[in-house]
Amino acid sequence: MRTLLKLQKHYLLAAMFLSGAAGIILLRVFDPATSGVFPPCPVRYLTGLYCPGCGSLRALHALLHGDLRRALAMNPLMVVTLPFVTYGLVSAALVELRGKGLPQVMLPANWIRALCAAIILFAIARNLPVQPFNLLAPGALLHP
Amino acid sequence: MFCPQCGANNADTAVVCVQCGRNLQPSAAVPLPAPGIVLPPGMTVQNYLVFAILATVFCCPATGIPAIIYAAQVNGKLQMGDLAGAKAASDNAKMWCWISLGVGVAITVLYFMLILLGVLSGLHSS
Repeated sequence: MRTLLKLQKHYLLAAMFLSGAAGIILLRVFDPATSGVFPPCPVRYLTGLYCPGCGSLRALHALLHGDLRRALAMNPLMVVTLPFVTYGLVSAALVELRGKGLPQVMLPANWIRALCAAIILFAIARNLPVQPFNLLAPGALLHP
Repeated sequence: MFCPQCGANNADTAVVCVQCGRNLQPSAAVPLPAPGIVLPPGMTVQNYLVFAILATVFCCPATGIPAIIYAAQVNGKLQMGDLAGAKAASDNAKMWCWISLGVGVAITVLYFMLILLGVLSGLHSS
């Protein structure tokens, strides 16, 4: 009950939580590959190229149905970063709700820059029509 | 007295060490940060890294990448002891996260509006 009252005070957190929950429910029920519920990636739609996030909705759908292999095939980068992102989100929510987050490690700046470079390289590589990079394209690992 | 940080010999009435600048007064309310430890206890500067990653992957890579770069800058500035710089970088990271969210929401709204108006016929990624 107290948590519900606190959610009223933190309207931004409540809005984010609700939209996140709605998204997860939609992703569990509908398959982004075949259903028109989800908007397409604008980068892909306008340029035909894969952005670093392409396949992440299909990957989440696969994860919500317990299919890790399919999720990794759709967007390995997103699947790998998902645990860290989830931990960070929970920590941020806890900071908002009770003032103190989960234990955090201070990441060196160069690690973050390396992650940024990895994201950019991932985006470039998955668009190259050359083995083995084209295996990074969404769904490519499912059809060897 | 001898400085506990660098060992230099200071006058007994010295307030700060003549060699390394460490506060020699035992009754100091806030200890000066030692090199490598930047923040007084209890203080934190947000780097918005998690939101920056989400912005890049789900909203808009073009505006998410600057957010990640500024998030890196927050930690970099903290490591160097530049608290003001870290706060400025944090504000920039936050701004780019919000821009990314705005772009993502705008594109989604635009897409569904175009479908409703019959301009697009329920396209989805192949």
